[in-house]
Amino acid sequence: MIDSFKTLGELAEGRDLADVFLESDVREHGVPAEQIIEALTKRRQVMRDCIERGKGGGTSMGKLVGNEAKLLNEAFLAGKTFLDPLTIKAELYALSVMGENSRMGVIVAAPTAGAGGVVPGMLLALEEERNVDPAKTVRALVVAGGVGSIVALSAHISGAAGGCQNEVGVATAMGAAAVAYMMDGTPQQSINAAALALKNTLGLVCDPVGGLVEVPCVKRNALFAVHGLTAAQLALVGVASVIPMDEVVEAMVRIGRALPRGLKETAEGGLATTATGCAIGDRLKDEANQRRTQRAEERERLAHERKAGVAS
Amino acid sequence: MGPVMVGPSSSHTAGTARLGRVAREILDDDPLFVRFVLHPPLAATYRGHGSDFALVGGSIGLNVDDPRIPEAIRIAEQMGVEIEFAEEDMGEVHPNTVRVEIRGKSRSVQITGSSIGGGVIDVFNINGFSAHFKGDSPTLLLFYRDRPGMISEITGIIADEGINIASLACSRKQRGKDAFMQIDVDSPMSTEALARICSTPDVAEAKYLDRIP
Repeated sequence: MIDSFKTLGELAEGRDLADVFLESDVREHGVPAEQIIEALTKRRQVMRDCIERGKGGGTSMGKLVGNEAKLLNEAFLAGKTFLDPLTIKAELYALSVMGENSRMGVIVAAPTAGAGGVVPGMLLALEEERNVDPAKTVRALVVAGGVGSIVALSAHISGAAGGCQNEVGVATAMGAAAVAYMMDGTPQQSINAAALALKNTLGLVCDPVGGLVEVPCVKRNALFAVHGLTAAQLALVGVASVIPMDEVVEAMVRIGRALPRGLKETAEGGLATTATGCAIGDRLKDEANQRRTQRAEERERLAHERKAGVAS
Repeated sequence: MGPVMVGPSSSHTAGTARLGRVAREILDDDPLFVRFVLHPPLAATYRGHGSDFALVGGSIGLNVDDPRIPEAIRIAEQMGVEIEFAEEDMGEVHPNTVRVEIRGKSRSVQITGSSIGGGVIDVFNINGFSAHFKGDSPTLLLFYRDRPGMISEITGIIADEGINIASLACSRKQRGKDAFMQIDVDSPMSTEALARICSTPDVAEAKYLDRIP
């Protein structure tokens, strides 16, 4: 069992990182490599489809977000953006996925839904812009998943458990390792990319406005997709993380424990309790109450109709 | 990577839908009444994340990637399922913990579990017995009367099938009284084996669950 990044580094020395994870899955869970590749090929396609749908924008459930991907896409197509295409697409694709997510569309949890824009944003932008074989992207998803599963051995992957560092932070680390892999980095460079990415998200709190996965989640995914690319770039030129990845994860867990409850997804702190955040929260509560009343009335009406039906 | 799911939160939609689904699968019948008791941090966030749709969706048998999840409450109402939400402090448990009380025509089932992120669940109580159910492998849930030899008889039947046991845990309410056994297996079990297990003396009920999608 690959129980730490140290073990992973030793096992993977001089080898293909995706193969190392695939072999471990066969050994531990009896799942053949072809089956995993097939499943991830489908997931890559779900990500792609989700990005295509999401580019068009649309209103989220809480109506707080919706047009981000559309604005960026239109500006990009019109040549009105100043960043390079890889960066723009990483942002755009992450925004697209998160837009779909906020409308209860079908997405791939990577590793969670609330952080589900980071990995597809980074990987699919890179695939297009650097002409990476889609089959390699699928293998990079094996790497991303493998990195996430090692982190999950010692940390709960949720904002409720440890703040956003446990979600977007971990997603960024997974994506950075996968990007280093796609750019033909060594396994150690992938691990360094993950460590650099995660280190620089430590302390990130989960303070969603109104308790919705909308603000700041949607834009945060886009910005951290770019963060992950830069971490991979540094690792690929040989920059190492002074603190080894296993210890970064330990630090994340300790910081998560130290964070107060109000900053762990409860919407009782941070951005959620700013003046604007509170006003939005109140509006959402009112709307939810209205919907509940409507549903209760609808139920009563149905019950009444059923009774009338029986009587006749 | 994964699951493929309906947004917006893997803890709040995928994990909770699976928790609802576990209760539904153990009940093994159309529910008439479902009550969701939420631990306070989940109660504070569940509505915004669509956990209400997801919990209800799972409890009426929808998968996490079913696009009907956002409509689940309406669908449940059309099916005539009565739904109730409540809040209760369950002490030192994961923030996203819920107890699902589900009732069908002839039986009722109660499970308590946590949605721990990425759609992963940990059901730690089934009908008052301590459990360790994750829904990621085929599992046999056995309710029986505690007596010597029970574990050996049941595992013997599984061994006859050539099936490997990944883990086994028992708990009981009192010596010689109601007991519960959870057996996670590496490969699917045949209906014949299941019938043999059901007809073993002192077995009150055996539920075989495949992976919870």
